Formats: sequence, C-alpha cells, structure tokens
Amino acid sequence: MLENFNFRVIWEYMPLYGQCFFATLWLSALSLIGAVLVGILACSMRLSQSRLLSWPAGIYIESIRSTPLLAQLYFFYFGLPSLGIMLPEWVTGVFALTLNSGAYYAEIIRSGIQAIHFGQIEAGISSGLSYFQRMRYIVLPQAFGMTVRPMLGQAIVLVKDSSLLSLISIMELTRAGQLLTSERFMPAEGFLTTAAFYLVIYYLLKAFSNWSEKRLIFKEAF
Amino acid sequence: MISFKNVNKWYGDLHVLNNINLEVDAGEVVVVCGPSGSGKSTLIRCINRLEPIQEGELVVDNMAVHDKKTNMTKVRAEIGFVFQSFNLYPHMTALQNTTIAPIKVRKMKKADAEELGRETLTRVGLKDRINSYPAQLSGGQQQRVAIARGLCMNPKIMLFDEPTSALDPEMIGEVLDTIKMLAKGGMTMVVVTHEMGFAREVANRVVFMDDGYIVEVAPPNDFFRNAQTERGKAFLSSILSH
Ligand SMILES: Nc1ncnc2c1ncn2[C@@H]1O[C@H](COP(=O)(O)OP(=O)(O)O)[C@@H](O)[C@H]1O
Ligand SMILES: [Mg+2]
Repeated sequence: MLENFNFRVIWEYMPLYGQCFFATLWLSALSLIGAVLVGILACSMRLSQSRLLSWPAGIYIESIRSTPLLAQLYFFYFGLPSLGIMLPEWVTGVFALTLNSGAYYAEIIRSGIQAIHFGQIEAGISSGLSYFQRMRYIVLPQAFGMTVRPMLGQAIVLVKDSSLLSLISIMELTRAGQLLTSERFMPAEGFLTTAAFYLVIYYLLKAFSNWSEKRLIFKEAF
Repeated sequence: MISFKNVNKWYGDLHVLNNINLEVDAGEVVVVCGPSGSGKSTLIRCINRLEPIQEGELVVDNMAVHDKKTNMTKVRAEIGFVFQSFNLYPHMTALQNTTIAPIKVRKMKKADAEELGRETLTRVGLKDRINSYPAQLSGGQQQRVAIARGLCMNPKIMLFDEPTSALDPEMIGEVLDTIKMLAKGGMTMVVVTHEMGFAREVANRVVFMDDGYIVEVAPPNDFFRNAQTERGKAFLSSILSH
C-alpha cells in the first residue's frame, strides 16, 4: 500500500500544511483561552444565589450542550450576517468554538468547585478575604488543579472540533486535506497527513497534562 | 470586647439562639459547653457573622455586627477563627496558609508576612514543617497551622469551635497546650470545648448552653463541682461517664 502512497505530493503540499498547522494551533489556542474565561464566568453565574444570573447561565450551558457544534457554527455563520453583523470567517469560527467549549468548561469547573470542602471558604471568609480573593486564591486554583485531566480532555476535543471550521472555508488542517483531495484527487494522502498533524497536537497536550499533574503535589489532599 | 444583647436567631422555624445575653471582656477566656445541637457553634459563628442574627445587638470590638451596614472585612480581620475540621487550604504550604490573609487583607509586604508566618509557626512548634502541605501533616499539626493562620492576622479575639474534637487522643494535648499558651498571653478567647481540664486551667468563665439557651454562666470550678441547674448536672454526668 505504501508504494502507492505519493509522498512527493505530500512534500509538495508541506508549506500549506505547515501554515494550516499553525492556523489550527492559534485558532484553537484563542478559542481555548476564550472558552476557559467564558467557562469561569458562566460557572460563577450558574453557582450564584441570584436567579437573574444563574438562569441565563443555565440556559446557555444546557442549550450548547444539547445541540451539535455544526448547527451552532452554521447558526453564527449564516445567522449573524442576516442580522446585519458581518464578521470575518475566522472570528465567527473562534466565536462558535469559544461559546461551545465554554459551556463544557463551565461544567468542568463547577465539578471542581463543588468538590472543594465548604469549610475552606468559611475559613477564607473568617480571615476577611473578599469574594473575589476567595475565588482567585482558594477556589479556582484548586478547581483547576483537580480538573487538569478533564480540562485538557476538553482542549483536545476543541482542537478536533476546530476541523469543522473547514466547512466555513477557514484555512486549517482539515481544509488542507480537502484541498489536496480536490486538486490532486488524493484523499488518502490528504487526510492521513491532516490526521498526523492532529496527532502531534494531541501528544503535545497529553504531555502537558501529565507534566502538570505531576507538579500538583497537593493533589493527595483530595 | 464581645457583647450579646437579647440576641435571637432562627434557622427557618428552629429557634437556635434564644435571647442570648453575654459579655466577654478583653483578655477574658470563656469556655462554651453543652450537648450536641444546643447552639454552641451557632453562637460563636455569629460573632464574625458566618451566621447572621435576626434580632438583638451583637457588638464586637466596638463594631456592630448586627448592623448590615458594618464592614465585616474589618471586623473579621480582628477575629481569628479555628474550626473543628481545620479547614486549611490544601494547595498551599503551611507558610502560605498563614501568609495569604496578612498579604491580601492586611496588605502586608510578602517578605514581612513570611517572616511573621515563620515566627508564628515556630511559636506553635512547627518550625520544621513550614513548607509542608496540609496532607503531609498530622491532625494535631494541621490544627496548629490553623491556629497560626489565625494568629498571623494579629487578631484581638480568637474563637475556637471544638478545636480538638476531630483529633486522635494523643494529639489533643499538643493543640490544647498551644491554646493555653495564647490564653496565658492575654488573648481574648471564646472556646467551644468539652475538655474540662483545659477549662479549669485557663477559663475565667464557663457558659453552659442547652437547647438554644444560655443556662448557666459560672467560673469553671463552681460549674464543674457544683452546677446549679438540673440540665447542667445531667450534662456533666453525661460527659464524665465516658
Ligand atoms: N445551617 C443550618 N441550617 C439549619 N439548621 C442548622 C444549621 N446549622 C445548625 N443547625 C441546627 O441548629 C441547632 C444548633 O446547631 P449547632 O449550633 O451546630 O449546635 P452545637 O454546635 O451545639 O452542636 C441544631 O439543631 C442544628 O441541627
Ligand atoms: Mg458544634
């Protein structure tokens, strides 16, 4: 089989793949940062005493988690222009990925927060720490520490989901595979190369996950 | 220093604090005892408004804790609170546990706070555990870190809610000795405990609670030898029998 494999063409397309590899990386990184921030915000709102805050957060989280990402992506891609909001494709793509993963991050962070013994929060209140100081120094570091694995798991999902951006003609790894396929009629070469690059990202994230878990000395406490 | 005037508190329909009147003077050590569920924890948790009260006046260090408008951060900075279950921050070392509030609330410089933290941990006998995480410490050591954490805020008042109830018997002594050291140093303290030896040695007064009421207030020797009420006598015989 390998002798039928046209490495020369893959080599010829390498500059395109390289460019698209970095596009996938930064689109994912941008969405990831956004998603974690949205996740923190949505989770804080969700856990709030005030229904005015917790209900919208609940509706956001549930509706994202109950619908396909592709439908959400098309909704923003076709829906926003019909409302007169014109955004570059990549902005729409990052926006959709951010909102999508943000809902999952909200739930992951919530599971971390709820695993924290409430006594620690009372200790924080007792020593005069404000709500934001308690979140910043007591709650969130532990919530992140306890959820390293699911957090990075969701990051891997996000990277893979970014392949859907090829459908709104953003140049990224999957789009590179599509181009090789349509220009040279070589789907095997095209998409295997694409897959190989995703594998590289996957192993990078996994290595980071293992490294950061080892650094969390205090994890025995949980 | 702490003054309860006709304080009432309810949890829903449950009347947990019933017309509480109590004055604690500066430098005084008050031990609170009573059966489980009598309202002891609630009583001391009201002092720093971990629990709000619904009626009456509660004044701490001349600040009105019953008043919703009072800045509680200021009040809480003056009160160290030690919990039954230690409640240390598990992701921080002993030293970080003691320095976080001085740095963030008192706005101390990090280096000064660390100096203070080291000194205080040394004072409670943990000189060689300064960089340990809570999970690496015994229960007695964790509780002493918790005490040091309170002391580093340089509080005027220390509150203890059954500080030795979660400890193995062989560790109770080291924690009580630490609290005694503070008592002898003149700290104003309210201690919920059933440790009679401790109460005899350091308490100025014992407050006996039952069913949300303060039933008796007396010097420890009077209360333990010669309780005035039936409920007090029944309680003492119940803790002596085991
Ligand atoms: N957060 C709460 N909500 C409802 N009831 C509570 C709460 N905390 C304590 N109680 C009840 O209030 C009463 C007094 O509790 P507590 O102050 O903890 O007693 P103690 O410390 O003397 O054992 C108990 O009947 C207890 O069940
Ligand atoms: Mg109690």
